[in-house]
Amino acid sequence: MGVGSGRRAPRVSSRIRLLISITATLIILGTLGWGWTASRLPASYAATDMGVMDTGEAQAVAHSGTGHAGHSGHGAASSAGSPHDVRSLVAGESGPADVSVTLTARRERVTLEHGLSLMAYTLNGQTPGPTIRATQGDLVEVKLVNQSVTGGTTLHWHGLDVPNAMDGVAGVTQDAVQVGESFIYRFVAKQVGTYWYHSHQVSHEQVLNGLLGAIVINPAKGIKEDIDVLALSHRYAGKRTVNGQAGDVITPAAAGSTARIRVINTDPGVIPVWVSGAAYRLVAVDGTQVSAPTPIENRSVLVPAGGRADLAVRIPQSGQAVRVEFGGAAMIIGPKGAPASATPAPSETVDLLAYGSSSGIGLDPAAANRIFDYKIGRRPGFVNGKPGVYWTINGHLFPNVPMFMVAEGDLVRMRISNHSGRAHPMHLHGHHVLVLAREGVPATGSPWWTDSLEVKNGQTYEVIFRADNPGIWMDHCHNLVHARQGLLAHLMYQGVTTPFRLGRHSANYPE
Amino acid sequence: MNGVMSAVYRVLAFVVAGEVAIQAAFVVWGDAGLGRYVDQVGVVEKSTFDTAFETGVAPFPEFLGLLLHGLNGMMIIPAIALLLVISSFFAKVPRGIVFALAVLGLVVVQVSLGLGGHAISVLGALHGINALALFSIAMWTGLRVSWASRRVQREPLAERVTV
Repeated sequence: MGVGSGRRAPRVSSRIRLLISITATLIILGTLGWGWTASRLPASYAATDMGVMDTGEAQAVAHSGTGHAGHSGHGAASSAGSPHDVRSLVAGESGPADVSVTLTARRERVTLEHGLSLMAYTLNGQTPGPTIRATQGDLVEVKLVNQSVTGGTTLHWHGLDVPNAMDGVAGVTQDAVQVGESFIYRFVAKQVGTYWYHSHQVSHEQVLNGLLGAIVINPAKGIKEDIDVLALSHRYAGKRTVNGQAGDVITPAAAGSTARIRVINTDPGVIPVWVSGAAYRLVAVDGTQVSAPTPIENRSVLVPAGGRADLAVRIPQSGQAVRVEFGGAAMIIGPKGAPASATPAPSETVDLLAYGSSSGIGLDPAAANRIFDYKIGRRPGFVNGKPGVYWTINGHLFPNVPMFMVAEGDLVRMRISNHSGRAHPMHLHGHHVLVLAREGVPATGSPWWTDSLEVKNGQTYEVIFRADNPGIWMDHCHNLVHARQGLLAHLMYQGVTTPFRLGRHSANYPE
Repeated sequence: MNGVMSAVYRVLAFVVAGEVAIQAAFVVWGDAGLGRYVDQVGVVEKSTFDTAFETGVAPFPEFLGLLLHGLNGMMIIPAIALLLVISSFFAKVPRGIVFALAVLGLVVVQVSLGLGGHAISVLGALHGINALALFSIAMWTGLRVSWASRRVQREPLAERVTV
């Protein structure tokens, strides 16, 4: 350094500079460290502690205008009574069950029919598990026995609005069933239609690897169609299968007969389903019959993750077979050996907002006394100590998600809006919601009752439902990986408590 | 201390530039593999990716490139850029902090464009162009330090000559 070239910085100023640098560094690292520790979930907590209470009343009063003192009195009365433990929310009926099934869960290597071998979860040795069939009104009893699923398991009845104690959510309605233990589920099959059951313990992994099966409830007088076909779609190790078989699955049927195909989407993403070889009707969505379904051609039905769609077709008199297309697999229905040519996926889809004919919905949206927002977003942050870009509900990361408080009898409206960049299949346990509008466009078709609603990025849905099933109910994205990342809220009835715990000191991990 | 910190600063800047190149390689390798997969097997759908991202069971081997592009881009590169900013506090590089903050800023823009591109595809196009801007600024940030130290080494000779 030359003597005359540059200034010689005074020592005090360079010390101050160093101090500022160290302070700035500490601020950056300190902020990150605080974010890390503040986001860590407690070692043990109850579902009732998790989140921010949202009573939805302020918005309801603003909307409806007239006094709701009566309603808040009603709410107070139901919470003034002694709190209900979720374990007491069971089916009232006692005595022997009409349908009695034992499902033994195992983790074992399976070889699917097309030769693919993988470690999967089986029920009674098979995956998908056995189909449970019942008639409307039956008392169903299912005994779940855990033979070798380390980490525990449960069964959740997707789409069935069972009493809360039977909902099968580990850490909320029961403890996970560990190896060597069992649990008995009892409920009355009140709803008719196509449903499925699956694990709700470490569900993102157990459901993916096959701990699931179908449950079908028929009306007492049977279905209108001649043939009842189950089409449970699941991807095992990347390969699409229908009822556990890959490629083309054949169901024999006589020419001229009618068939009801019960499509169940057990994957984390939406699938398009369409029919080649005949027009078809969409006769039920998520178990609810569609009123006056019209024939569909050159359109596909988008079945959300967890959702079900019952399709009705007539096998052509010409002797050709019909193909129900799943994209990578198909269910061929027709006389043995009958030809069936595939068609490519149609670009148009069926819009359930306007399909079928409208009948009275029996609910007055203006009389709703709880109005909630369920806004899905995304931002960087920490969840349970891990940095990342996470889903938010009403602007908050898990576990500061809303706890939607309701009282039994409330009429609840919810506005589900998604600006997170990805589509999310939203699933509410224990209830079906009626779609009122999508982006302000009112529903004009058959009443669209659903329990698994695909909300695309940028979409807003207005839905309504009656709070008629007391308990603590999960309301989450059925892309189970997203649920694990925190896209998980719940509906809480006043006066309901749970003795079950979540967190790393419990053995319960519902996602 | 100063010499070490400016060396750390310079190396981190070049690492950011190198990482941008790695990111480009990952994503195109993954995309090329996707093309081959569809050509051979034919079916890709939403759950192809959704399940693969979590389980790690890739539908095709090059999928790893897409997975690493996401992980590297959202976690590792921002961490390196942050370390660059911290090192700039201690390295006595003229306007070193300004350049480090510029690199960090472009990384933030890049991650935002990358995430936004999943919903609005034109943001994906901008993500590609911003990568080049980020690469250039990161390289410049590192090279400035080399140029400055080379200039300092040459000066005494010139001074001696004039004297």
